[in-house]
Amino acid sequence: MNDNPIISWKIAGVALGLLLTLATYLVSPLGVSTQFVVTDAIVLHKVAPAVAESNTYLAKYGVEQDWGVGYGWMLILGMIVGGGVTALMFRDKQPESDKGSMPAMWTAKFGPSEGKRYAASFFGGLLLLFGARLAGGCTSGHMISGISQLAVSSMIFGVVTFAVAILVAKLIYNNQVKIS
Amino acid sequence: MMTLIIGFLIGCAFGAILFLGGASSYRKILGTLLLKDMTIIKLMMTAIGVGTLGIYLLDQGGLAHMSIKPAYIWGIVAGGAIFGTGWAISGYCPGTCLVGTAEGKFDAVATLIGGLVGALIFAWAFPMLDELLLQNANFGKITIQGLLGINGLYLAVPFSFAMLFAAFFLLKDRYE
Repeated sequence: MNDNPIISWKIAGVALGLLLTLATYLVSPLGVSTQFVVTDAIVLHKVAPAVAESNTYLAKYGVEQDWGVGYGWMLILGMIVGGGVTALMFRDKQPESDKGSMPAMWTAKFGPSEGKRYAASFFGGLLLLFGARLAGGCTSGHMISGISQLAVSSMIFGVVTFAVAILVAKLIYNNQVKIS
Repeated sequence: MMTLIIGFLIGCAFGAILFLGGASSYRKILGTLLLKDMTIIKLMMTAIGVGTLGIYLLDQGGLAHMSIKPAYIWGIVAGGAIFGTGWAISGYCPGTCLVGTAEGKFDAVATLIGGLVGALIFAWAFPMLDELLLQNANFGKITIQGLLGINGLYLAVPFSFAMLFAAFFLLKDRYE
């Protein structure tokens, strides 16, 4: 049984580090979470332009002439396309335990209810982006790109995020889970 | 226009690396957070090790387009804590939920929608939070070498090797 990812962490890590270097040389470092705001701003400008303009934070990201679709937004569009195409190409090589929407670890703890998993994922996503926007970045912008630039803010973010995430993961699984 | 194409291509490579490296796997993310399967943290530390060296070598020639985020302590600590909680609950981060969505995982789609809502809530709360957490104790766009007053490369080289050393030799999986 092969449970390992399709490429090793060594190859993936070196490739990601080189990609970050290339991005920093060509345009700017990698970042994702800002684009959630840009997407919100784009959508809200379509459905309720007055509301979007009156919000000081959204107004920074989507003005009428320029829809906020820049380098950063193209990057996340690329992530969906690149991730999707590779997933199609290498689906048969992906470990069985990494497929589908119901992780075995989760169902062992919380049962087979899909509603419960999706509700938790939704709530988790809500916290992720609220926290990322408050801190000014996420795993990409703060941890990978920021720490690589030796930024003080990103080092603090990295330490706090990992400490809290480890604590919450331990609370959720009570230290009883077996990963096989 | 060129910048948009470059962004798209870099994004494609980023998404492919995350998928192939198993970063969109709940099992792998929670494995790292439960300190049992170190794949993801080793992947991240390797990327940081290579990236630090790459960026600061570019910087020596004035070729790095750096983007340092401001160090407003309270906002970063509070944001990091909220982010970390969401990370442990959903098993995705903002980038990997995009890849999971592309794979057709519905829990990733739920995370993505939750993220769009969370960003919107933040936008509404911004004026209040800005005054409370972002303006206070804001030290600006500071870096470690800036504080020490030395050339970044002198710090980047040992830091990079420390990251790679930890990933390759120190961190070990702990299965039961």
